[in-house]
Amino acid sequence: MSSEGVRTASLPLRWAPLRALASTDHKRVAAHAVAVSFAFFLAGGVLALIMRSQLAADGGVVSQNVYDELFTMHGSTMVYLFVVPIGLAAGIYFVPLQVGAAEVAAPRAALAGLWLLIAGGVAMWSGFLTSSGAATASWWGFDPLSDSIHSPGSGMELWIFGVALVTIGQLLWAGCVLMTALRRRAPGMTLLRMPVFTWTMVVTCLMTLFAFPALILALALLWAQRHFGGVLPGGIGAVDYQQLFWFYGHPVVYVMFFPFVGMVAETISTFSGRRFFGYRAFVVALLAFAGLSMSVWGHHMFTMGQVTNKYFALTSTALVVPAGIEYLDFLGTLWRGALRFTTAFLFAIGFIVQFLIGGLTGIVVASPPLDYHLNMTYFVIAHFHYTIFAGSAFGLFAGIYYWFPKVTGAMLREGLGRVHFVLLVIGTNLTFFPMFLLGAEGMLRRISAYPLSTHWHGLNVLSTIGSGVIALATIVFIVNVAVSLRVRRPAGNDPWLAHTLEWATSSPPPRYNFRELPPILSYAPLLDLREQAERAKAPA
Amino acid sequence: MRNSLHAYEHVRSIYFPIGIGVFALITLALLGLLIAGARRRRAGGRTEATRFEAVYALALACVVAFLLAVTYKAETPLDTVAAHPLLRIHVTAAQWSWRLEYPNGRNVASVSSWRPPVAEVPVGEEVEFWGSSRDVIHGFYIPRLRFQRQFLPGYVTRFDMTFGQPGFYGGACSVYCGEQHAFMHFELRAVPRAQFESWLRSGAPAESSAAGSRA
Repeated sequence: MSSEGVRTASLPLRWAPLRALASTDHKRVAAHAVAVSFAFFLAGGVLALIMRSQLAADGGVVSQNVYDELFTMHGSTMVYLFVVPIGLAAGIYFVPLQVGAAEVAAPRAALAGLWLLIAGGVAMWSGFLTSSGAATASWWGFDPLSDSIHSPGSGMELWIFGVALVTIGQLLWAGCVLMTALRRRAPGMTLLRMPVFTWTMVVTCLMTLFAFPALILALALLWAQRHFGGVLPGGIGAVDYQQLFWFYGHPVVYVMFFPFVGMVAETISTFSGRRFFGYRAFVVALLAFAGLSMSVWGHHMFTMGQVTNKYFALTSTALVVPAGIEYLDFLGTLWRGALRFTTAFLFAIGFIVQFLIGGLTGIVVASPPLDYHLNMTYFVIAHFHYTIFAGSAFGLFAGIYYWFPKVTGAMLREGLGRVHFVLLVIGTNLTFFPMFLLGAEGMLRRISAYPLSTHWHGLNVLSTIGSGVIALATIVFIVNVAVSLRVRRPAGNDPWLAHTLEWATSSPPPRYNFRELPPILSYAPLLDLREQAERAKAPA
Repeated sequence: MRNSLHAYEHVRSIYFPIGIGVFALITLALLGLLIAGARRRRAGGRTEATRFEAVYALALACVVAFLLAVTYKAETPLDTVAAHPLLRIHVTAAQWSWRLEYPNGRNVASVSSWRPPVAEVPVGEEVEFWGSSRDVIHGFYIPRLRFQRQFLPGYVTRFDMTFGQPGFYGGACSVYCGEQHAFMHFELRAVPRAQFESWLRSGAPAESSAAGSRA
């Protein structure tokens, strides 16, 4: 703590919140980023609740134009301001700890990423305050709908700038995390001794660094088109924008997935009391997945007739192989494990079951003859909410229940956690499962009203009730956090008997993370120590 | 088989049962592991099975190959257009209306978003569509045929459609295109060739259909 004093004393900032936002401690940067992105999750969730009310009431809650603002900002908020940044922020916090580093690489760049997240998020949302309202061109911002003729007004400008700012910040974060894993590992921490979560962050950062510049380029071209014209001409411009956007837009789906795969992997191996199964195959599968992810973007353009559908169907369906290996390794870790059914573990199991629905329906829409019907319908909405919400968000909550004691030094309440889990499972499936049925019957996305049919109406009402249950579950979670921080139950260094280095230091860890490090002989050094101690005891 | 409805149903009849089977298998395996693991006090067992995983990956690759074979076989006819179509309809989409033009000059257009255009097509024949957009991207989508194609400004999108059964085929714009996107509908009525010919010759505006025909 003394080093902290030396650092902050040199800063002229007296105002505590500002000083907090100026700390280059990776744990502070990451904790603030998690808090900021969770606030955006709540805001984006409120937008979703208004949309669900509109669809249950069969119109009349908001106008067409406001509905367009709602789904544009809901999608943009969840992707750019919540799931991507919270996953990368988890990497900023835990990758240095897991590889035994004292600091993240380039801590000032990590801090800049936080500021860019806040600045960009505020810019995007301030569109609501302009006379023309927030952006209405969906989270894709497709040209020509997003050009100055079809989307005039400053809401769209603010959206372009906001998305560009947060994306630059995310690139900085990816660089920090990747460099930490590659260059800041403790002695003994070879690449193949890095914990599974760190490996998932490595592939996440690789995908970020390769794919995200394409989005910045697309946004820059869009901005130039709006102000000067001629850079995205006619139909060619529309196709070019989509090629660039989806070159970002599909890898980002896995950037919104792998950090949470890592959290689930850590959670189930800890609560099975077993080393993660098939570690090396898993690492190969991750790298293969990341490589393939760069070659699947065209499956978003199957119905355009401007890409080679069969090629993109091949690469997209081939993802079954690495995904299948990951699932085998999840189950293999549980096999012969001594399971402890903590809340974190329950969320991890929820992830495994529910993501499976999202993954399998992903194979369905990777087949062009099926996608010719299902594209742009609620089937796709159901599919990706099963991957990102029923999957990634459950993985995130597994991670939060698992790591909260490490970050805060206090345990979360298990009872409230179970209530949160049960409500969220019910709410999630009630909200998103009916969307498969609606989509298969041809209900299109991004419509604020639909042809009057009692059948569709009933399913929409079910879905809206489900979204209310999700809101309730989220309130239970917030209460849990508030109660656990107020009436603290101290966590100690390692409340879960975990395997990785972040549990070898105090909770929360000191400024430079470790006073001493245990020997690192595998990807589960703390488990090694326990097994060694047991072996020493056994002969006696 | 250029019938998009049949192609969809065929691929679906293979993909969906496999998907549901895999889901059931993994969920049951998981349930078994959870029940067994709940009672166990000491963890054990091996944590690496690289050779087994390699064989398993090979098996998955075979599944991928099978799925792709099914997909490709169904897709090829959907993506090809007939060399000498009997009928070609030019469709122009714009915010937020449709216009269908027939070879003899007859055309049908939206009057307003509340009055979608109603046009006729011959039943059971391959009809070629040439689609384009006047402004942003639109999607020409007929749910009953399980088929959609995007219309771009400056491009002509060509595709064939077969209306296998007589009756109404509701259509909608599938690509979000701005404020009135939700109301950008059209309707096609598939009728026998003779009836279609007389409709085509008559310049009379097509009747508006009863509500609820949109599938």
